[in-house]
Amino acid sequence: MDAISAPDRARFERHLAGCAECAREIASLREATARLATATAVPPPPGLKERVMAAAAATRQRPPAAEPEAPARSWRARTWRTRTWPRRGRLALVAGAVATAAVAVVAVVFGVSNGSMHDQLSQAQASSQQVAAVLTARDATMMTGAVKGGGTVTIVMSHARRELVFTAADLRALPDARGYELWLIGPAGDRAVSMLPPVRHGMTGPVIAAGLRPGDHLALTAEPPGGASRPTGPMVLDVVL
Amino acid sequence: MRLRLVARGDADAFDAVYDQVAPAVFGIVRRVVRDPAQSEEVTQEVLLEVWRNAAKYDPGRGSATAWVMMLAHRRAIDRVRSVQKESERERRTAVADIPFDEVAEAVESSLERERVRRCLRSLTELQRESVTLAYYGGYTYSQVASLLGVPAGTIKTRMRDALVRLRDCLGVAS
Repeated sequence: MDAISAPDRARFERHLAGCAECAREIASLREATARLATATAVPPPPGLKERVMAAAAATRQRPPAAEPEAPARSWRARTWRTRTWPRRGRLALVAGAVATAAVAVVAVVFGVSNGSMHDQLSQAQASSQQVAAVLTARDATMMTGAVKGGGTVTIVMSHARRELVFTAADLRALPDARGYELWLIGPAGDRAVSMLPPVRHGMTGPVIAAGLRPGDHLALTAEPPGGASRPTGPMVLDVVL
Repeated sequence: MRLRLVARGDADAFDAVYDQVAPAVFGIVRRVVRDPAQSEEVTQEVLLEVWRNAAKYDPGRGSATAWVMMLAHRRAIDRVRSVQKESERERRTAVADIPFDEVAEAVESSLERERVRRCLRSLTELQRESVTLAYYGGYTYSQVASLLGVPAGTIKTRMRDALVRLRDCLGVAS
């Protein structure tokens, strides 16, 4: 397993649900890894605690289940052909696969990969070939809608390819070098798709989101410069795919 | 750690959690991020994430400390990678000169620190360097491989072996 991207990590951890031995192995390696961190403990600067407690008082806590916020607007989907979403069977890792999975375990607990999430995030602009492939897919469906705060988005999605193309126009400019970030939010967890590319003539995109799964929402949030590994900013768009 | 109470909005419980984990969070963040101002920022982000997402901690997947440390390490790596370009990072640090106990301002040498240091010493040099570069340096497999002049596949297996040895040396139950 070369690159452990966020979707792969989520998928891998989901597979662990079918293998108790794998889960134990991972948990124990995770504990060992945590010791690498606790052993370098250094007292934080004074004043940090006050800032953290004050910020916490002003921060809403999230509920246990991964629930996206309410959709910004109801969506009209024009389908040219409806397809039933293929059901994914759960893959249970057999005991012998524990050793093979160990390399992936290291990647999971260490966050090591061959491409960081941010390398992926910086590949914001999809190639025209990828875009054309989705647009010309037999089961392509198109959705348009409004973004909270201003702007419209257009999404073309192919269930068969599990990909969608995202473009947006006239999005409200964000202050302080903040940027818009696109996410897939689903039962397996939040995955970052991309920061939106720079705006040209009022338009941004196209951005490809791949690896769509049943139950996924596509969401857009405003994030600090450089983006975030988890959605932190206000959600200005939430589309049920 | 009283994360369940924190999840219900108990500020006193969060206060106690802060005291318990903030040094470890700050320590690993500072080790990875290095820049003092950014280290403080990331530490604050991590602790805020603990507050915000305490309900998502799943005891079945490991200890609360391990969960917090994972958040800290992940955020630290994200910050480093989002701020610095790859080529700059590779020039930034001399390769093998990242000793484990580099953080000079650590106040006490704790029993835990000694234990981990001893267990890291029990690894082979390649295992120890791989772990150090990957975990504390935040380098990817291929970066570690090129820094150490060794194939990426070898790095992966060395790191896996290192983690297993560390686990057994530290006496973590499996």
